[in-house]
Amino acid sequence: MRDSIKRIVTLTKRNLKEIVRDPLSLIFMIAMPLFMEILFYAIFHTMTSQFEMKYLAPGIVVFSQAFLALFAGQLIAIDRTTSFLTRLFVSRTRSHEFIFGYAFALLPIALVQAVLFFLVGGIIDSSFWSVTMLLGILFGMVTSLLFIGIGILLGSLCTDKGVGGVASAVIAGQSLLSGMWFPTEGLGKGMLTFMRVLPFKNATMLLQNAVNGCDDVFADIVSPLLIVLAYMIVVFIVAVFAFRKKMRA
Amino acid sequence: MAVIKTCDLRKEYQDVVAVNGVSLEVEEGELFALLGVNGAGKTTLIKMLTCLTAPTSGDAFVMDHSILRDRDAVKSLIDVSMQETAVARNLTVEENIEFYASLNGHSAEEIAAVKAALYSAFDLGQVKGKRASKLSGGWQRKLSIALALVSDPKVLFLDEPTLGLDVIARRELWKTIRDLKGKMTIVLTTHYMEEAEALADRIGIMKGGKLLFVGTKEELYAETGKDNVEDAFIRMVGGDLDA
Repeated sequence: MRDSIKRIVTLTKRNLKEIVRDPLSLIFMIAMPLFMEILFYAIFHTMTSQFEMKYLAPGIVVFSQAFLALFAGQLIAIDRTTSFLTRLFVSRTRSHEFIFGYAFALLPIALVQAVLFFLVGGIIDSSFWSVTMLLGILFGMVTSLLFIGIGILLGSLCTDKGVGGVASAVIAGQSLLSGMWFPTEGLGKGMLTFMRVLPFKNATMLLQNAVNGCDDVFADIVSPLLIVLAYMIVVFIVAVFAFRKKMRA
Repeated sequence: MAVIKTCDLRKEYQDVVAVNGVSLEVEEGELFALLGVNGAGKTTLIKMLTCLTAPTSGDAFVMDHSILRDRDAVKSLIDVSMQETAVARNLTVEENIEFYASLNGHSAEEIAAVKAALYSAFDLGQVKGKRASKLSGGWQRKLSIALALVSDPKVLFLDEPTLGLDVIARRELWKTIRDLKGKMTIVLTTHYMEEAEALADRIGIMKGGKLLFVGTKEELYAETGKDNVEDAFIRMVGGDLDA
């Protein structure tokens, strides 16, 4: 058990270094969403409530997390195709230790994203400050696991170029189907149902409602949380299965 | 004493028989070169011996530990450097060694000792602060082989270690491999006949998953009537010497 924890810590440290030393990952996971948060608030917050900080900041947190899927997937895919993982498979490291090593490496990044974008939101718009931000950060950790799981799944199944394509679809899905950039009231019933069945809008709603408070805790917090958790569990089970299959192959 | 012993080892992938009933013994401390054209089954054989893939039938033993029943014991005795360079790209040379040593359960003192030993054996000290991705192909391959020694293996598998390297880098790597001879048992696969000629104590030749020949260079020359490994290899696998 102690050896296993040590191996997980070693893998986590390595994976974290690999990701944060890639300038592109920092640009897409931190700099670009931060720029968008500041820019969109400055331009649009007086025009539409969509871009008020209480909606924008939680949306930006989940949007930035979608890039975790891209960079987690690319790291695993590159590790596979360069035989790096093959070498590690020869060691006594177990498949669950690899999975934890990848997942834990991305959680600190998700924490930085949530804290930073809420903090900047509070600095730009002082009315946004609230202790419920802590709740937003907590739920942000849950939603980040969904995207990390997607990344591990993509990395196990695709090449690094393939991961780029599929992860772009996930990022686009988070942008277009979360309702963070445009009001969803005018959309048709079918489209709204589609958005509510997928995890993207639920993840965004979960953080927005956690930070801003809500009237119906079940409908506004518990329900989206359960949907996100359900997706997260399914994605992780499939990811672990796919990773183990690759390991055996 | 046979450090590696395979007994009628066979591996099938759907309709393809990649390794077909290979029985082989490799002695302690020897450098055994495995030759074969593409698809001969060399890499599959290495993958079975390193517990990366299970045989369809048969068994193999590394220091009497079965690759089927005692995988952890086998893994504690071996290490491998695969065809492709297998290093952590954004970690420095020093961090790569620390990472592998830590993963192998080394203490801080042991890690310091391993680093010192590898810097000296592979001249890696001069590039220890460089990220692996910034190293030349030759240095990356050197680092990749050095990392395989971190666990202090009794058996080292080198799968085409000089593939794609220029002639200078290849010769430098030969010297490194030659320095390792006798300190551990080495199984090397290669496409370069002169590599086997220069380094190997014994040679095995595979074709279509079968082991056609095992013996010394001299025995190979005697069996084929040739005086160099390349011609002997071509004669053995049924190629056209005049092509």
